[in-house]
Amino acid sequence: MSLLGVKNLKIYYFTLKGVVRAVDDVSFNVREGEVLGIAGESGSGKSTLGYGLMRLVPPPGRIVGGNIVVSGKDITSMDEGTLRREVRWKVISMIFQGALNALNPVYTIGKQLVEPIIFHENVGLKEAYERAVEMVRLVGLNEDVLRRYPHELSGGMKQRVMIAMALILRPKLVIADEPTTALDVVIQAQIMNLFKKIKKEFNQSIIFITHDLSLIAEIADNVAVMYAGKIIEYGTSDNVFNIPKHPYTQGLLKSIPRLKSKEKLSWIPGTPPDLRNPPTGCRFHPRCPYVMDVCRREEPPIKDLGGSHLVACWLY
Amino acid sequence: MRKLLRNELLSIFLSSNTSKVGITFLAIMIIASAYVVIFMPLDFGLRYWNNPTFWADYPKLVPPEWVNIFLGGKLLRHTILVAEKPTLSLEGVKQYILTYSHDSNQLPQTVVFKLNNITFTYTSIIELSVRRPDGRVINLLVIQPLTSGVSERVDLSGRLEVAVALSRFLKDEFNVSISTTEIIQRKLEFKILMGTPVASNGYVDFKTLRGNYMFNIFLRSDDPTARIGSVEVVVFGWCYGFMGTDHLGRDLSQALLYGFPVALLIGVVTSVITATIGALAGVVSGYYGGIVDEVIQRLCDILNNIPLLPLLIFFMFVIRMNEELRRTISPLAVIIIVLVVFSWAGIAIIVRSMVLSIKAQQFIEASIAVGASSIRVMFRHILPQVAPFIFAQMMFLTPSAILSEAALSLLGLSDPSIPTWGQILESAFANQAMYLGLWWWIIPPGLLIMYSAITFVFIAQGLEPIVEPRLRRV
Amino acid sequence: MTSKVLVVEDLRKYYPIRRSLSEVLTFKRGRYVRAVDGVSFYVNDGEVYCIVGESGCGKTTTGRLVTKLIEPTGGVIKYRPSSALARVDDEFVVGGYIDYRRLPKKYVKLLRREVQIIFQDPYGSLDPRQTVYSILEEPLIIHGIGNDRKEREELIFKVLEDVRLSPPEEFINRYPHMLSGGQRQRVNIARALILGPKLVVADEPVSMLDVSVRAEILQLMMDLKISKGLTYIFITHDLAVANYICDRVAVMYLGKIVEEADVLKLVNEPLHPYTKALISAVPEPNPSNRFRIREVPIVGEVPSATAVPPGCRFHPRCPYVMDVCRREEPPIKDLGGSHLVACWLY
Repeated sequence: MSLLGVKNLKIYYFTLKGVVRAVDDVSFNVREGEVLGIAGESGSGKSTLGYGLMRLVPPPGRIVGGNIVVSGKDITSMDEGTLRREVRWKVISMIFQGALNALNPVYTIGKQLVEPIIFHENVGLKEAYERAVEMVRLVGLNEDVLRRYPHELSGGMKQRVMIAMALILRPKLVIADEPTTALDVVIQAQIMNLFKKIKKEFNQSIIFITHDLSLIAEIADNVAVMYAGKIIEYGTSDNVFNIPKHPYTQGLLKSIPRLKSKEKLSWIPGTPPDLRNPPTGCRFHPRCPYVMDVCRREEPPIKDLGGSHLVACWLY
Repeated sequence: MRKLLRNELLSIFLSSNTSKVGITFLAIMIIASAYVVIFMPLDFGLRYWNNPTFWADYPKLVPPEWVNIFLGGKLLRHTILVAEKPTLSLEGVKQYILTYSHDSNQLPQTVVFKLNNITFTYTSIIELSVRRPDGRVINLLVIQPLTSGVSERVDLSGRLEVAVALSRFLKDEFNVSISTTEIIQRKLEFKILMGTPVASNGYVDFKTLRGNYMFNIFLRSDDPTARIGSVEVVVFGWCYGFMGTDHLGRDLSQALLYGFPVALLIGVVTSVITATIGALAGVVSGYYGGIVDEVIQRLCDILNNIPLLPLLIFFMFVIRMNEELRRTISPLAVIIIVLVVFSWAGIAIIVRSMVLSIKAQQFIEASIAVGASSIRVMFRHILPQVAPFIFAQMMFLTPSAILSEAALSLLGLSDPSIPTWGQILESAFANQAMYLGLWWWIIPPGLLIMYSAITFVFIAQGLEPIVEPRLRRV
Repeated sequence: MTSKVLVVEDLRKYYPIRRSLSEVLTFKRGRYVRAVDGVSFYVNDGEVYCIVGESGCGKTTTGRLVTKLIEPTGGVIKYRPSSALARVDDEFVVGGYIDYRRLPKKYVKLLRREVQIIFQDPYGSLDPRQTVYSILEEPLIIHGIGNDRKEREELIFKVLEDVRLSPPEEFINRYPHMLSGGQRQRVNIARALILGPKLVVADEPVSMLDVSVRAEILQLMMDLKISKGLTYIFITHDLAVANYICDRVAVMYLGKIVEEADVLKLVNEPLHPYTKALISAVPEPNPSNRFRIREVPIVGEVPSATAVPPGCRFHPRCPYVMDVCRREEPPIKDLGGSHLVACWLY
């Protein structure tokens, strides 16, 4: 069952210096229980996409085209009030980038966990508190953390709290935007284990946004690779990692240092484009080792290479 | 290359409406100040403002002329009639005729005859008389000048001989008896001079006589060389000028204009010096830390907690009392110095905390790693980061300085030789302007003080997005 | 026979914690953050020596100590200067090495010409108000290199070419905010190299860069090492990067080195439990990983550096903890082939 359907989504930022086409005609689906990894570097538009799915794009950004359908309901045209009451946090929730700072320093953890429950559902304080306890245990924390303040917790603990908060209303879809950036590698592994556990136990759908392809491999079933505001490759994790088709994906995979091999790394020359003025034709063409004439002129359409492996590249 | 950043900053600054208004206001202030500097003498205060005789021919305590528009021309205009040459020159007599057209019901404040530079070789006498529109003539006064080369100024009000002449005139022409003393006491000179008595209920009232009045000045002398340089008759009206006059007849518009560059000077000089000292202290304090920091910060604490106004009052008082001090130090300089001394501490404290966070940035560490000296780091790396904030603070300090000076003036503690808006307000209050309803003396200076403060506050608001990047409109 | 460019013995850096009034009044002893607590190592000429560890382990502080940006609380740092530098201040060269403690202030500037540092943050380490030219000119001016503007410009152009920011004319007038992360880091490297150093400390130089850019910068650093004859001390938390670029690796935990070895040996035959945990925690781009929980043999979180556990400081988290671990700190043992471990298991 398609839980989330995104079609031709466009999110632009209207700045004094020009229009930044952060997300430019993006389409994909997420099923229930599926984890979709969105990989991209800075300037690819992945964070904007994450915010856009919750209609939280900060001004001067706006959704200018396309639609987002969640469980059959089109949330792009929904009015703000209904969106707030029915959808945000109840159906879709988000773990923000740099979430360690997303906690209010003057309130206890317990109060912050209980607040969304009381706001969205008509339950008493006692029941809300019990649910908070349950969630906190689920993410591997001791229940007395509810009485503590954010500054008393370590980075890893705060991240777990953020995950608990995102799950507290048992949303159908959780968007995780670089959830492990500021964490040490050991804690990162533990948090990833937690995500795996949640995925398994709740059959939770997750959209996992990160620039670290290794992390995506750890958790995602399907992968969408973004570049300059567009999805340039999409497929199952196995396909994308083992038989990458787009030159960008190939380049990315070849540039990751591996722990157990001393293989020489290669990289992609050049820099990601300025989204106010993206290159004509295929946006990757200035950096592509296989660039052809047509790449400079026309944008490649998305082709299905079989087995739901989609690529936007003139090589195919 | 630097321009790029500057252009960006400029566009951010101009993106808000308040800053545009602020800049316009500031432009007006600068233009007005430039005008004053170019066209008015620099010692205007001493030479003119504090010199009451200069204003002798101005009406006292009258509102501006344009008020007449609203009052339908009710207020009498101030008229000065001048004659350089005698109208008639006969043997032994030189007659100066000055015609004045009176078409208002309002009587003049007073009328003054000015006989400038009377020269003669032997005795002459001067007769002053007036011919009314109804043909009646009143001989007002006879003067016998004693020395040659002197000027005579005859104010008809309160002059005994004039009152006598008027009393006799009343009796002769209208058979009305009012004693000389009563004329002087009840200030009936001009009612009689320019009115027709009307009896009503046993009271004698006067109806104003409108028409042409001919003021005659006769110079009788056998000396053919005897002459009067110029003859003036000043009919003191009830309105004057652009902004009216004060109790000494001083044209307020001049003083108000003069106030512009003074306000700018006080405001800008104080704020620039304060900001500079504060910035330096803050940077040194924040960068070096340790004992230097402690010393400077404690000093700031002390300075911040001393009340400014009582201290200022004290200093001004001391200077007033001490003649010698008064001559050597300009009180204006003292105000500026005291304002600076007590304002830099606030800036220093804020700059210091900014420096502390800048200091933690990696590019500072990088400079040190490359071998930069402390001085270099402070001035080439830290100070430029703090500069926009300093600039914004200067904008806030300026109105504060202007307002402080105005407050001091109001308390009578400022420099009386330089007319400022605060000074004008002070003399207004000292002369009961509030109770007398002399709004033109109070409201314009007050408004201008506010205006100058608002100018800088608006500019400071416009500078906020530069200082606080999160406020910027993207 | 490679000589040792840097020798560090029992290096310590403690930071005093501000005491509350009650602590002062009750004469409680001041507490310290033991950022670096007895670290000893050496670096061979021309090698890439990595210091690996998580945040708070003291690796960054060690880097700062080696570049003399901060002063140690205790211990010795000895640096072998080039012959040019040694001639200038030979009174302080003992046995071919300069002792940092003995180096007077006026010679520290000279030392900076030889020992440089590349910073982690490509955004924060460049003054946003200076052009690239100005940033690179600063070291030249400070040290009086280049007699006039033309000479300095030549040097700047050359170093920009070295870091492959070509053509240099295109970059010298740009401000940092007009450069990408990778380009900024190249400017960082250029700034470190323009004085012609021998020893370069690289403090997480690629951690804040995009993944596709990292490989390029790492390769650049390797090429520069060969072309300029540099020695690197490479600080990172990413074991995969360390594996790629380093010759020898030291693993730090809570201010001490717990294991040191050639990188291949360390990665393939780790000895210390902490090293094993670190290695098992590194994610790999293998999609079948998503079906497995990653076993990381470690318990709990890193304790605060103010309250270092007694005995072996890793013991509260160690899956193999024994009684002796709780009581005594294990000494560093050489298990052959320059593989050093500090653990009671051996």
